[in-house]
Formats: sequence, C-alpha cells, structure tokens
Amino acid sequence: MVRGSTVLHLKGAGGVSKALLDIIVCPLSKQPLRLCQETQYLISDEIGVSFPVVDGIPCLVPKDGRILDEKDNMRLDKSTKEPITDNNMNKG
Amino acid sequence: MVGAAAFLTHHHNSLYFFSSASTPRFLPEPRLRASPSPAKQSGACCSTDRRKLFNRIAPVYDNLNDLLSLGQHRIWKRMCVSWSGAKKGDTVLDLCCGSGDLTFLLSEKVGLGGEVAALDFSREQLSIASARQQLLWNDCYKNIKWIEGDALNLPFEGSYFDAVTVGYGLRNLDNKQKAMQEILRVLKPGSKVSILDFGKSNSALVRLAQEWAIDNVVVPIASFHGFTEEYKYLKTSISEFLTGNEQEMLAKDVGFTDAKHYPIAAGLMGNLVARSR
Repeated sequence: MVRGSTVLHLKGAGGVSKALLDIIVCPLSKQPLRLCQETQYLISDEIGVSFPVVDGIPCLVPKDGRILDEKDNMRLDKSTKEPITDNNMNKG
Repeated sequence: MVGAAAFLTHHHNSLYFFSSASTPRFLPEPRLRASPSPAKQSGACCSTDRRKLFNRIAPVYDNLNDLLSLGQHRIWKRMCVSWSGAKKGDTVLDLCCGSGDLTFLLSEKVGLGGEVAALDFSREQLSIASARQQLLWNDCYKNIKWIEGDALNLPFEGSYFDAVTVGYGLRNLDNKQKAMQEILRVLKPGSKVSILDFGKSNSALVRLAQEWAIDNVVVPIASFHGFTEEYKYLKTSISEFLTGNEQEMLAKDVGFTDAKHYPIAAGLMGNLVARSR
C-alpha cells in the first residue's frame, strides 16, 4: 500500500467523465445532474442548484451548492428546456 | 498498540432547508446553509470544524496510521473488505474514504468490470487519494470515482450498490441514524455494509488500556508531527461512540437485518456487518 502523505501535483483529468455522471445524482433531490459544458458545473435542475467540479472531483456537499438565480445562464429555459442564453433570455 | 487511524472524519449537520415542494426554502444568501447542530459543541463537533481538521491532518494521516498501529490497520481494513462481501464485477461504495485505503482494496476486489465510488467530506484527503491512484501501478484503479460529498446526504440513487464500506467514519458523524438510513437506501436488497472503527469495549480494562495508549502514545507521537488537539479528540470521540451491541441495535432499528459486531484486537477495534433486506 502506497502512502500518499506526500501529495504529488499531478495533472488531474479536469473534466467530468460520463462514467461519473452515470453514478451520481443530486444529494438533496436524488434526481439526475446535468453537466453544463461551458462552466463544467453540475446542475440540479430540480432544485435550481449548481455544484462545482474541481480537478475532476465533483463537490456534492449540499452546503457548497450555489442557488441559481433566474437569469443564470446555467439554468434551463422552462419553455425550450435549453440553457438560457443572451438570445433567448427575455423571450416569454 | 492502538491504531490511531481515521479519527476525525465528518461531523455533518444535516438540517438543510429542503421541502418536498418544488421550491426549496433556503436562507437568503446564495449558498445552501445548514442550521447549527443541536448536538454538543465540545472540541471539533461542528461539521465545518471537522472538515477543516481532516483537511489539516491529511499530510501526515497515512504515516501516522502506519506508525501508531504498527501497520496493523492494513490487516483490519482487509478484514473489513472481506466482510462487505464485495466481489468481481460489483458496484461498491467506500464511504468516508479519506485517503483511500479501503477504496484501493475494494478496487482490486471488484476489478475493471466493477465500479468503486469513494466519497469523503475532505477535499485534501481526496487530493491525496487521487494522487495515490496516479502513483500506483495498477490498472484496475481506473474503476475508482472520487467524490466530495456528505455522508448524510449521499449523491446516489437508491438500491445502487452491491456493498458499502466505512472505515473510521461512522464514529464521527453527527447523526449516525441518518447515516445508516442513507447507507440502507443506497444498498441493493440483500447486500451488506461493513463498518470498521475503534471499539468501545464493555470491559473496563480494555477501555483503560485504550485511554492510556491514546494519552501516552498516540497524542505524543501526533504532537511530534504537529497535531495535538486533533488526536486528543480521539478519547472523547470513542467514549461518545456506540458499543458493539448499540451499533447492532441501531442497524436493526433503521431496517437492516443480520446486524453483527465483531470485536478485533481484543476489542480495541471492531467491525459491524449488517445486511439490507
């Protein structure tokens, strides 16, 4: 067994693998998470919260989640179910 | 000699304002916040403090585990994995994984056809675990997924895992009942959880020996590495923990069947094994 007390600064994968996305759900709603490709945040659309991913390791501690406000472009547009962009933000 | 392994894992506050309605009621600030725990506030009882503490000791953690248990923690952890019933091809969870000792053992057990989710509250411990994964010359460790998370709010679907292990984590959780409920929820029916931790012996002699070892061996050695208070806490933590019988009762109350606690090393350590219905 290798001791890991010395942390080597190796390059992490950075992103989120599909395999990881298949395993995890929102820690509060227990519903699937959506990966925002642009920001690499994990979005719980059910409760409107985003969770960060750091060095390929998702942070799904509930109190580290960030509530998405109405205009946050990581939210889904309710009518189109697509991420809100500058073009569609003000459409009714 | 007492194995001074993972003491200070996660003391979680679990009272998040989440209602069953579609709009959760959160505090005004943008971050989700837990309400203060009603539990006793001695030492590092708050989950935030524990998380910081675990982050702090991360650099010396593995070395101290080896030193203080004379390497025996490795045997206890192999036993824990055996008891979990994990086998080739399984999907398993190592809860409160810390720097990954149990995770790597599970990974070897389930092989590349299996999956290991490893969850911990401490980002620093996970960084070390991830670095160890890169260092080790074993292809099968690709089956490991590290996740920073809360043991009281597991980010997994129900009935997902073929086995769950917890190494030196349960003792430090604020709400052990909730933790056991979450473990039960994510286990497939008929699957087992294997929980290794310090023993809280019914024998006064064993407890005396344990306390003596902490005061006169563990703390001085930990102090030498710069961590006194963090390891002093261990004595209180064990005294507040559940005995083997109490752990069995907790598991059964929550809904597990066949809950059995096995003393190890003359009761200094112990391992609870419980099966979900």
